[in-house]
This record gives sequence, structure tokens and C-alpha cells, in this order.
Amino acid sequence: MSRKLLGAAMVASAAVALFGGRAAAVERNFAGSAQFDYHFVPKANTMSTERQVPLDGFTTEASLKAAIDISDKFSANVKMCFGCHGFELPMAHFDYRIADELNFRVGRFSPAFGNFNLRHDPANHRLSSKPLPYDMGRMLRMREWNMGVLPSPFPDNGLEINGTHWFGLSAQLDYAIYAVNGFRSDTSAQDLDWQANRSRDSYYTDNNGRPTLGGRAALTLKLSSTSDLTIGASGMHGTFDPTNTLTYTIVGADFALRLNRTNIRAEWLARRQEFDTSDPTIFRYRLPSSGGDFFVKHGAYVEIEQPLTPKIDLLARVDGLYRKGNVVVASPLRRQSAVSRLTLGMSFLLAPGYRVKVSGEMWDFSDAGPNGRHTDLGMHLGLVGTY
Amino acid sequence: MKRLFALFLLAVGSIGCPGSSGQAEGLDPSKVPSEIRDDYGVFAQRCSKCHSLARPLQSGIEDDLFWEYYVARMRRMPGSGISPADEKQILRFLKYYSAEQRKKRAGMANTSSEGAL
Repeated sequence: MSRKLLGAAMVASAAVALFGGRAAAVERNFAGSAQFDYHFVPKANTMSTERQVPLDGFTTEASLKAAIDISDKFSANVKMCFGCHGFELPMAHFDYRIADELNFRVGRFSPAFGNFNLRHDPANHRLSSKPLPYDMGRMLRMREWNMGVLPSPFPDNGLEINGTHWFGLSAQLDYAIYAVNGFRSDTSAQDLDWQANRSRDSYYTDNNGRPTLGGRAALTLKLSSTSDLTIGASGMHGTFDPTNTLTYTIVGADFALRLNRTNIRAEWLARRQEFDTSDPTIFRYRLPSSGGDFFVKHGAYVEIEQPLTPKIDLLARVDGLYRKGNVVVASPLRRQSAVSRLTLGMSFLLAPGYRVKVSGEMWDFSDAGPNGRHTDLGMHLGLVGTY
Repeated sequence: MKRLFALFLLAVGSIGCPGSSGQAEGLDPSKVPSEIRDDYGVFAQRCSKCHSLARPLQSGIEDDLFWEYYVARMRRMPGSGISPADEKQILRFLKYYSAEQRKKRAGMANTSSEGAL
């Protein structure tokens, strides 16, 4: 044990000696946030299957992050969080930056994809819920839909090379390319198994040994001293079954405009997902002689975040999902299914760093639910704070 | 539903409205010394894009070198919109703010030690 400790100390000392630039001492910063939310679905009924669909009731998301700057080139980040899945380690990585334009990130991190992922921490977005393309458990009928297109955050183990470059004082270009384990599922899978990606029942390693590859590029233009515009494109591709035969491809485009303190954001994501067709009897629709072994799930949102007073922000969001492709017989979805949601919310500042979030959601499903309804209502009341 | 729609229209109607740009989580700009007020404005505008201003202001960081690392890290965040010129202004404000915090703390320490005598 003492040998191991000694070894670790030597490695740490060597790292500081190797990468220690101007730093007189290693700089550490701790920060965290917590959100307590009550999700009320008036029509949810404990006697129906519908009750099992939303994760209503109280939820907690809390995190604590340590950022360690060993030098101006070498840093480390570790983040622990507690949420619906229990304790997780969404971040544990090292960054070695040769220049602004070339940074190597190794470890566990959320690979660069889309705009929302940068704000996924509940303290950094004004609604209790996430946009549907990125939903991770707060959408109604989440089992039927198997959540959004790319539930956020999506930490994974791997390597990312990223960087940023300013062209003059008005244009910033960001890029990232990465190789990570990727998502998982069984051999006879019909979709990604989100729980398998974080389940403690299996190893925290890839199920097929082939990395998922992806990247992102975004351009930010400073329109004035108080406004800027970001447009970006992202993509990732990989296999998810143990035999490396089934693939998924996720692409996305995003737009974010900031005018003074008003934020207008829009994103679109689409996932092309292959599934196993070795047993054609499990499907509701007859499989064609060729093709027909995949579905495409689209997701999009547009939102406006507008401060009304220094202490009150108003939010409006329209988002939705659209899925096209075959389904298994037991699925309540059809060959083409859609869901849309209108959310209106307000965020009240209690004290610097502490907010109350209130929102109402109106859901509209293309397919009838267990009670024959196509529409539903949801409400959130949350408290979020930073520390 | 009509009320929700009215709220939506209110939000759309006030887009970019400068009258709604108060920085409740930050400082009162009128209480910031005039020579640092522009720097504070850049800090408030740029840093509130992704997170609450309470994050840096309540971080407890007082070391100037640490601020340099911290702000450089934020500048490199994708889509930060923090240019190298903005970085200088933000740093100028944060160093001023840290110095003020140190003074305040020293004053409080002196007061409490005098009270103990």
C-alpha cells in the first residue's frame, strides 16, 4: 500500500515538474450546484401504466467539481454528481494544452456535441427540464420513446482533441474531434440501451472494443459589444452491439443568438439507428426485402430566455421529437410518431446564485396514451443553487 | 392557455430590451469606480452568457494568478465569445474585485480584534 502511495506521489511530482509552468502552486477551485425539483403530472395515476411513464415527484441533482490548474498548460477536472441514477462520475479528465488551438483531453468527459450540453448543469439553464432532444428521464412516456435523441449529459471514456481560435476580435472558431467508448446495447437490440451505459451490473468498459468517433465545429460572431451569434454542427458515429454490426449515427446543428441579455436558441438533432432484424416476427410492420433495418429519430427545440426584471426571467420553449421507422409489436408507437411540447416558465432570483424555477408544459402526442388521450400537462417547481 | 400565450407574447415583445438588463446577480454598476466600470460591463455581459455571475463573484478566489488561469480557461470554452481583448478587461475587473474583498476582510479582522481588546 505504501509503495503504491509512494508511486502515486512520484508520478504527481513528475507531472508538476514536467508541466509546471508559471504556477507557484497548484491552484484548485471547487464549485457545485444542486437542484431540487417537484414534477407534477396531474393526470398521472398510480393504477395505470401511465404512472410508470414519467419520473414525477421529487428529484435531486447535485454536483461538486474540482478544477485543478497545475500550470497554464496542464489542468485536471473531477466532478461528482448525485441524481436519479445515484452517484456518478461524469468528469475526470486531464487537459494538456499546447496552444489555444490544440488541447488534448484524456479521461472521462462529455464529448463535444451541440450547444445545450455546455449548459447541461441545472444551475446554467433556467428551466427544470431539458430540451426534448437531450431529455434524460423527465419527458412523459419516456419508456415508449426511449428518451430523447441524445440524453445529456453523456460522459464517456476516451480522448478528445479540441481548440479555439479567434480571427481578429469578432470571430471565434471552435472545433473538437474525439474517440470514446460509445453507446451500448445487446446483440439483438432494437435501440440503444441507455441504462447499460451506466449500469453497475456490467463493466464500465466498451462492449465491443471499437470506439465511437465524432466531432464538432462552431463559429461565434460578435455582432456588437452586447450581442453574439453562434452556429455549430456536430456528429458522431459508431457501433453499439457486441458484434460490431449495428451502427448509430447522430448529427446536429445549432444556433444561439444573444442580444443584450436575451437568449434565443435553436437546435436540431437526428439519430439514425440500426436494429437487429434476425427475427422478423417481433415487428409490427413487415420488413422489406432490403433496408428497413433502421429508424431515424429527429429532435428539435427553439427557446427564448428573456429577463423581465433584474430578478425575474421568462422562458418559452417549443420542442419535439419525430420518429420514423419500424417498431416492435408491443410498442405503442407507430411507423411515424411524434410528440411536441410547449413550455412556459419563470425563474425568480432569491439571492445571488439561488433561483426558484416554475414552469408549465403542454404535451401533444401523435399516438393515444393508455387512457386514450393525446395531450397531457406537466408542471415543475424547483429550487436551484450554486456553491 | 390564454395567460400562457400572453406571457409568451410578453417575452417576444421584450427581446433585446435594454431596460431589462439589470444585473441582479452581479454588482450595482453605479457603485463600481468609473475607471473600472467598462471592465465590469464586459465581465457582466460575457460571463453571464453561460452561468450566473455569482459563480465567479462568490468563488472566494483572491489570487491574481489563479484568476488568470480561470479566465483563460473560460475564454477557451466553446462559443464563450470572450476575445483576448475581453479577457484583459475581465481580468482587470476581477483583480480589482479581489483586492476589494481582501480589504473588506482585513477591515473586518481589525474591527473584531479591536473589539476583543
